[in-house]
Amino acid sequence: MNDRITVRIADTRPEGPKATTLYVDAGMEVLPGQFLMVADFAGGEKPFSVSEAEGGRLGITVREYGPFSRRLRSMEKGGLLSLRGPYGRPFTPRPGDCLLVGGGSGIAPLHLLARAILAAGGRVTVVSGARTRDEILLGDRFRRLPLDYHETAEDEGEGLTAVDLAARVMERKRPDFVYAAGPEGMLAALRPRLGDLDYQFSLERYMKCGVGICGSCTCDPTGIRICVEGPVLDRDRIEELEDFGRYKRDASGARVYFPGALPGA
Amino acid sequence: MNHSPNHSLRTEFLGQSLPSPLVLPSGILGMSHGSLRYALEKGYGLVTTKSLSLSPREGHEGPVVARFAGGVLNSLGLCNPGIDEGLREVARFVEATGAPVLVSLFAVNRPDFVELARRACDGAGSFIELNLSCPNVMDEFGVPLAASRDLVADIVEGVKKVCRLPVVAKLSPNALDLPSIALAAQEAGADGVTLINTLGPGLLIDTTARKPVLHPRFGGISGPAILPLALKIVHECSGVLKVPVIGMGGVSTGDDAVQMLMAGASLVGVGTAVWLSGIGVVDEINLGIREYLEREGIPSVAGIPKLETGHER
Repeated sequence: MNDRITVRIADTRPEGPKATTLYVDAGMEVLPGQFLMVADFAGGEKPFSVSEAEGGRLGITVREYGPFSRRLRSMEKGGLLSLRGPYGRPFTPRPGDCLLVGGGSGIAPLHLLARAILAAGGRVTVVSGARTRDEILLGDRFRRLPLDYHETAEDEGEGLTAVDLAARVMERKRPDFVYAAGPEGMLAALRPRLGDLDYQFSLERYMKCGVGICGSCTCDPTGIRICVEGPVLDRDRIEELEDFGRYKRDASGARVYFPGALPGA
Repeated sequence: MNHSPNHSLRTEFLGQSLPSPLVLPSGILGMSHGSLRYALEKGYGLVTTKSLSLSPREGHEGPVVARFAGGVLNSLGLCNPGIDEGLREVARFVEATGAPVLVSLFAVNRPDFVELARRACDGAGSFIELNLSCPNVMDEFGVPLAASRDLVADIVEGVKKVCRLPVVAKLSPNALDLPSIALAAQEAGADGVTLINTLGPGLLIDTTARKPVLHPRFGGISGPAILPLALKIVHECSGVLKVPVIGMGGVSTGDDAVQMLMAGASLVGVGTAVWLSGIGVVDEINLGIREYLEREGIPSVAGIPKLETGHER
């Protein structure tokens, strides 16, 4: 009946200067790509994907963006969290050659996914990119898994983005399937590089309710709700969208165009 | 859907022919042309926009929704992109679908309602709904207008003067003598009445954190718990009104919807059930109404007999 629980933080783990993984014993099963609505009883509730799930203990990797995530990521063991969920449509792990591309904190759900693909007998290549080295998350976790791991910081060396690096990796070896999560601009830049490869993307949109009634996260023109029909969308669903990579909506529902996208019809 | 055309869900409402009597209530989806289109494709006969205000509103800080055994508590806080942006979304929706739209408006005084209605009448919507009854912004605006017969009449009258479109007043269950308020709306020129907005507001407490579950503290109560109250109010009000009633409050099944029609509603809103049962509930309710019509040998929704008025008082 109630899909909300209140739990104490069981452990925390710093992830560089701007992120922390909060561990909770939530007693729920969360599939890769699904999310929880997380609140701290001080105002604010946001969707977070789960980065780790081991024996009932969930890891929620919180990257600092604004006041709410700053407060959340500085919480300590014993602190109280309100969790609603798990919500949303998960990734579908495939047993073939899989390429996982993560931008910034978008890498978090891909860690859980990598483990699921490996468990299903698939082979995994991971490309993780961020603007700076500090912002590349969970690299140590990926390095411990039997997979091919690549990372890039845009302010170092050749300045490759995750998309650039993914393109190089794909030139060497064409994957059977691509999964990606991160800022929508990154996903929009990745899509034309995939040719006819099949893919699933996880989209991030502004959410209020998380359960498909408030309409904040709906896409145009099909009206699919990122919190219910997403956040993981198949290639076919993405290609129907007119707003993908162009605009999202703010808390009022007004359109916010992505940098470089022109307001049109 | 593959059913006998002899038992049609098609329903006439204020001059428009709707494919189903089910209404997407204001506040549920309705944020964008995409979400209006989604609702239409999922089986609603008429869709309502978010309540549009003169300026954009971001709504309240979360958590703004919570479940309890009888339904849902919410305090979204009337988030909307403002009347002008909202009407652009309505225009895109109408261009793509040709379907009618109920444009919901929110303000706290007559001049603002009149200005909103003036702009809405120049838009692509088919009807105007005046949200006189949101219980979730009392901190900001005080007791909803719908508590006062005089205020309701004054605002409806002002809007009707500038508005070529039919006007529906959405009233609150949190008032005494609802029939007299509904009658006042009708006498002031309202072409219909929507009953009921969410009940309350109410409170849920997190006993571990010892704090309200919703960050705005209080929220409007919706869902199965309020169905009997909604049915009673719709029954009482429709008994004294000549104008049609859009009935809503806790409708979750086909039988609930038939009860609402029998109580006197012309159309039936379905909102909270979309959370509790998923969006597929809309077609399930459509199917339930159709099965009722077939079983009872009633040819149309309008043919569902109204419950007789008892000896009230």
